[in-house]
Amino acid sequence: MKALLASILVLPLLAQSQTPQAASSAEPAKPAPEEGIPVTNQLVISKCGGCHTKDDHGNLLRISWERATPEGWEQAIKRMVRLRGVQLTPEEGRTILKYLATYHGLAPEEAKPVMYYAERRTQDETNIPTDNIRGACAMCHALARPLSWRRSQEDWKLLANLHIALYPQADEAFRLGINAGGFDEERHHRDPNAPLPLDEALTFLGKAAPLKTPEWAAWGARMRAPKLAGQWIVSAYIPGRGRFLGELEVEPSKGTDDEFTTRVKLTSLKDGSTITRTGHSLVYAGYAWRGRSKGTQAGSGAVDDLASDMREVMWVAPDQSMAEGRWFWGQYQEFGFDVKLQRPSADPTLLAADRTSLKTGSQGTRVRLIAESLPAQIAAADLDFGTGVTVRRVVSHTPTEIVAEVDVAANAVPGKRDIAFRRSVLPSAIAVYDRIDYVKVVPDSAMSRLGSETHPKGYQQFEAVAYQRGADGKPHTADDVELGPIDVTWSVEEFFSSYGDDDKEFVGSLSPAGLFTPASDGPNPQRKFSRNNYGDVWVVATAKNEKDKDGRPLKGKSYLVVTVPAYIQFDQPEVAQ
Amino acid sequence: MKHLRPLNKKAARIVHDHAGSGTNDVLALQAPPYTQQRPHVPMNCSLMFTPGWEVDAAGGTAGLCQPVERDIYDCFVSCYWPAAVPDHLNNSPDWASKCAAATKDWRNLDLVFP
Repeated sequence: MKALLASILVLPLLAQSQTPQAASSAEPAKPAPEEGIPVTNQLVISKCGGCHTKDDHGNLLRISWERATPEGWEQAIKRMVRLRGVQLTPEEGRTILKYLATYHGLAPEEAKPVMYYAERRTQDETNIPTDNIRGACAMCHALARPLSWRRSQEDWKLLANLHIALYPQADEAFRLGINAGGFDEERHHRDPNAPLPLDEALTFLGKAAPLKTPEWAAWGARMRAPKLAGQWIVSAYIPGRGRFLGELEVEPSKGTDDEFTTRVKLTSLKDGSTITRTGHSLVYAGYAWRGRSKGTQAGSGAVDDLASDMREVMWVAPDQSMAEGRWFWGQYQEFGFDVKLQRPSADPTLLAADRTSLKTGSQGTRVRLIAESLPAQIAAADLDFGTGVTVRRVVSHTPTEIVAEVDVAANAVPGKRDIAFRRSVLPSAIAVYDRIDYVKVVPDSAMSRLGSETHPKGYQQFEAVAYQRGADGKPHTADDVELGPIDVTWSVEEFFSSYGDDDKEFVGSLSPAGLFTPASDGPNPQRKFSRNNYGDVWVVATAKNEKDKDGRPLKGKSYLVVTVPAYIQFDQPEVAQ
Repeated sequence: MKHLRPLNKKAARIVHDHAGSGTNDVLALQAPPYTQQRPHVPMNCSLMFTPGWEVDAAGGTAGLCQPVERDIYDCFVSCYWPAAVPDHLNNSPDWASKCAAATKDWRNLDLVFP
């Protein structure tokens, strides 16, 4: 208790002592305070207004100078409940979240670049401008986390102060900067007057994520109730399982204009298996779809079972004509469909092809095209596969499917082709290749987390994709042609980083389908120093059929880090409830 | 370098390369002209201070605490990896109360959903 009291007394002092230092080098002249966004919701005013005092313009302290995604606001509300004694019923929490995420939200154009964060995708962030900003912000969390917010310059500074008050180590990161994972100790000896990493980060965020933007002003006028009811065509892809197509039926929930119930049926293009699911979703700010769905058939109980309960995060286009996003599950949200929704059309429309590549010189290859509203008469001339590919005949057709036989000229130029049926085009849908030059394992660097009963495991699904070397004749360059997934056998190889650690014996196992299952967490007495089962390994894919020029099977590999659990899971699953 | 005489070819080359640079210090070996390539660190990894929580400064696991449970209270009490391990300071004061010795009772450590 003493320690707690002491920390309460000391922390504000710490925060204060940091502020002038941070402010001094960022901008010497204090600008007039920005105009806030007035809060008009009575529940927000009554629940938050006690501390967040209201001014003459209807602005609530802090809140009026902030905008965020639904996940951002949920995190803030939960922190207020956890640390600041706010008492909310779940219903009140939902109402406040809906109001803030809609009227203090992000415009669709602002949310799009950071959708990967709400969609729980782990990807390399290329939006970090400098090492100092990386050191100040992105050493503990993704930069997408601050970029999911919009704040006034002043409010960004207050956010930095909050970090210093809550997390003492943040102060060190803000001042010293961390270069590529290690201290950049020499930096201040070399140039003591250089702006602090924090100053650099605040300047960047003030410019890249300001409170007032033209996008938000425009969205404030354009935002309308999401009219999403009715039929949608779903195109979905899941690594390791391939492409699915299907229909989503959306019905408005009674008494609301932004909540929906959904029914979806997806059919695999690979093996024809079907999945049916039902769900419920909310749409924040007219475009931010957050939902949950569950399988209607009994699942197998496997971790990667497609009947698992899933969460849905989608970005609905401002004109409400399409939506795209991810439907995901797993403790670390590591499994998921990439999903795209579009409205059905009365005109003939191609949706997908069952193959992704054609070999030069091949004759009579059957290609199945999934489409909708196809006419009763279809001739080979209606179809176009691009230069060098001739449609020999249409084998069969129904209103939703065409099976065609195509010949590929021996001298056809390798590369992606559009598939067209009259005026409907599937862009870059099929690739022509002369030979498979290499195999790439995706993701090319991945992370899996050890786990057991209390700390569920973080899995990783791999996929092997074939490539052709492209026009320049050199493999591993930007013009290489992707040919789609191929059949491989999977294995784990040692990545030699420290002597004799035999990581591959301990980290876990890889299934024939490329799903990595990590071992248990906790110390392992069989390892030196009882170290955990963590380790760095190569995941190797050996092609079953494709050979290199020396007749050896093609191989591809990916770097996999198997590491410890995250005991804190910064995830806001309730936005979908 | 006035009092030093190169004894082998490499040393002679260093002296020769720095003859006209106006500095007497052998900086050539210390400050490479190239920028060091950054190790690949997956998104969201908590790398606050070396070693990081998920990966070390080199992007692997060889430099993590062995085992991590041995050091977990220090992380918890001093709020060392605020994005991966709960902190005693503000957010989760009771996180480790069910777990007297983490190397034995690590199964009792809860997951926290802030």
